[in-house]
Amino acid sequence: MFLTRSEYDRGVNTFSPEGRLFQVEYAIEAIKLGSTAIGIRTLEGVILAVEKRITSPLLVADSIEKILEIDSHIGCAMSGLTADSRTMIEHARVEAQNHTFTYEEVIPVESVTQAVCDLALRFGEGAEGQESTMSRPFGVSLLIAGVDERGPQLYHTDPSGTFLHYEAKAIGAGSEGAQTELQEQFHRDMALADAEVLALKVLKQVMEEKLSNTNVQLAKVTEQSGYHIYSKEELQEVIARM
Amino acid sequence: MSPILESAAGFKFDNVKRNQLLSEKGNAAPRATKTGTTIVGLIFKDGIILGADTRATSGPIVADKNCEKIHYLAPNMYCCGAGTAADTEFTTSMASSQLALHSLNTGREARVATAMTMLKQYLFRYQGHIGAYLVLGGYDVTGPHLYTIHAHGSTDKLPFVTMGSGSLAAMSVFESRWRAGLSREEGIELVKDAIEAGIFNDLGSGSNVDVCVITRNNVEYLRNYVMPNERVEKEQSYKFAPGTTEFIVPKPPATLSGEEEGTAMDVSA
Amino acid sequence: MSSLLSHEIGYSAPIEVHNHGFSPYVNNEGTSLGICGEDFVLVASDTRQSNGGYSINARRSPKAFELSNRTVIATTGCAADAKQLVEDMEQRAQYYVHKHGREMSTPAMAQVLSQLLYTRRFFPYYVFPIFAGLDAKGKGAVYNYDAIGNIECVSHYAYGSAAALLQPFLDNQINKAHQRGADTTAKPSRAQAVKLAIDAFTSATERDIYTGDWLEIFIVDSEGVHKLTRELKHD
Repeated sequence: MFLTRSEYDRGVNTFSPEGRLFQVEYAIEAIKLGSTAIGIRTLEGVILAVEKRITSPLLVADSIEKILEIDSHIGCAMSGLTADSRTMIEHARVEAQNHTFTYEEVIPVESVTQAVCDLALRFGEGAEGQESTMSRPFGVSLLIAGVDERGPQLYHTDPSGTFLHYEAKAIGAGSEGAQTELQEQFHRDMALADAEVLALKVLKQVMEEKLSNTNVQLAKVTEQSGYHIYSKEELQEVIARM
Repeated sequence: MSPILESAAGFKFDNVKRNQLLSEKGNAAPRATKTGTTIVGLIFKDGIILGADTRATSGPIVADKNCEKIHYLAPNMYCCGAGTAADTEFTTSMASSQLALHSLNTGREARVATAMTMLKQYLFRYQGHIGAYLVLGGYDVTGPHLYTIHAHGSTDKLPFVTMGSGSLAAMSVFESRWRAGLSREEGIELVKDAIEAGIFNDLGSGSNVDVCVITRNNVEYLRNYVMPNERVEKEQSYKFAPGTTEFIVPKPPATLSGEEEGTAMDVSA
Repeated sequence: MSSLLSHEIGYSAPIEVHNHGFSPYVNNEGTSLGICGEDFVLVASDTRQSNGGYSINARRSPKAFELSNRTVIATTGCAADAKQLVEDMEQRAQYYVHKHGREMSTPAMAQVLSQLLYTRRFFPYYVFPIFAGLDAKGKGAVYNYDAIGNIECVSHYAYGSAAALLQPFLDNQINKAHQRGADTTAKPSRAQAVKLAIDAFTSATERDIYTGDWLEIFIVDSEGVHKLTRELKHD
């Protein structure tokens, strides 16, 4: 695609003659620079796992947060320009709270995903009489995991505002290898405990550093306890099972 | 109570100031029962027919489902009352007494015009505060007569009249169908239809139709002439088993036994 | 003897005072009730519409409505406001289907109704709704509201011109109030609830001038919404 680069890759509001929005495509490329994130859905719940790049021994590893809670029954892992995810997750959280306030029930996972994607295309000049708040597309991709009355679900969103429903998905720098690995290893009726191990195993294969309880994050969303992020000790327990 | 106080005539006004004060402080005066009513009268070939519904209301509540609004005045005269129930009741019964005395004193049957004059003079004296709106009908030596008397004392003498909250509904029936020289049966039918127009289209009127036919030397009081609004049977019985209602068994007073302990009275010296 | 004055009090209906102040509300009177059963709910309303005087605006103006295949609403107060509120509710229910790809649950709709009322906090809809339906487990739920959205989940409730007559009757027959030794845990059967609703309204018609003409009963059970109509007295 870079071979066809032209004047059309400057503005976010202009299609190229071939019918492409280059800025959106570049944004999708930006994800491929991000750290790897993995989501696996089982019948018991969903597992999210991310790699944390500890670029300096002086970096406090705990300060990197790439899995966040959206609501008590929904979690989210990210890859790409993680700063952009702040806006998206804030929006998702507000949307979830609004739903609870209005309907006195938890928001469906797909609805929160849709809400986030509605935001993704609000870049550019804005419609008539409307101030634009974003100058460029988001440079981040999300894995949204949650449990509702339709059971455990995993969604992937990208900067184009598209979302897709997955059973297992990898995003980020190591996504190609990881996705292949998931395709081989994943099976629909695997136990949640096996999914924990599979997620870390796949991460380990695509990570440059040695996997430890400081350079990965793991979270699960289950019917019983909702969103839960693993502590160091819990993480160590899973690593021990690998 | 002393005989003088007991026989004091007329209304007492000694609570007026107190009640004004109370109402200023938000204690409203008690609500009177109104016969929000349809009453009618017409002249037919042989005399007068009076009609009334039988609903009495207190605000939005039906106070009496089958009250009597056609009051006796004299053997040859009856009077329908609308407005404040107590006022129509007392006004007509006082008029009735006075007419009886008048008959005894004169040795003749009272005339309808006499009753009308007594009522209007009485009501005018109270400047509308006695809320009696009346349809007066009777047959005397001068023939049949039909009047309306308003609470302020004005009167009308007409061949067909209606009063009360259902007067418009009833009058629409009279205006379309009344004519001079109606037969007894036609007259009763027309009065019944006029009252029913009030019963069904005016919320202040309801239940049954009372009719009174007054002719020379004869009165037929047709109480509940038609009953078009009988209550439907309930879906189930609401009888309670004996003992359902809570009650308290009174304890016998402890001091009645006469054996309670106490200090004996000191009777020494 | 006819004078101008005599015609001013031709009949004893309340004299309407016309001033030029803004008075947007009218109470159209009438009565509504709701009864909650184990696996069904019932709401009932008469259809007489009036305006607080002695005249009848309409004999067949429904106050109770089917909102969805598992929820119903019975109103009293201002009929125009009630119509608007019901349309708002229908729109919100439809929008929810579009947005979330499923029907709104009964508790969710109850909450939406509360919010719709509260958004008009300082210029309220003059409506007193009784909302009823089956929850996700098929259990009955009856909610009543004040005009600005205060919500309460109840076993039964009555609103409107005959509410003061019906509420103690339902308290006694459903909650067994003032009945020594009665079983206070049992909920009414469906047949029992229908009988109570009919007797409540035929009795209210006897004593409340604003209740009458026709009775509409909506029953919601696992099969959906059923409607019964009964003629009441017209006087």
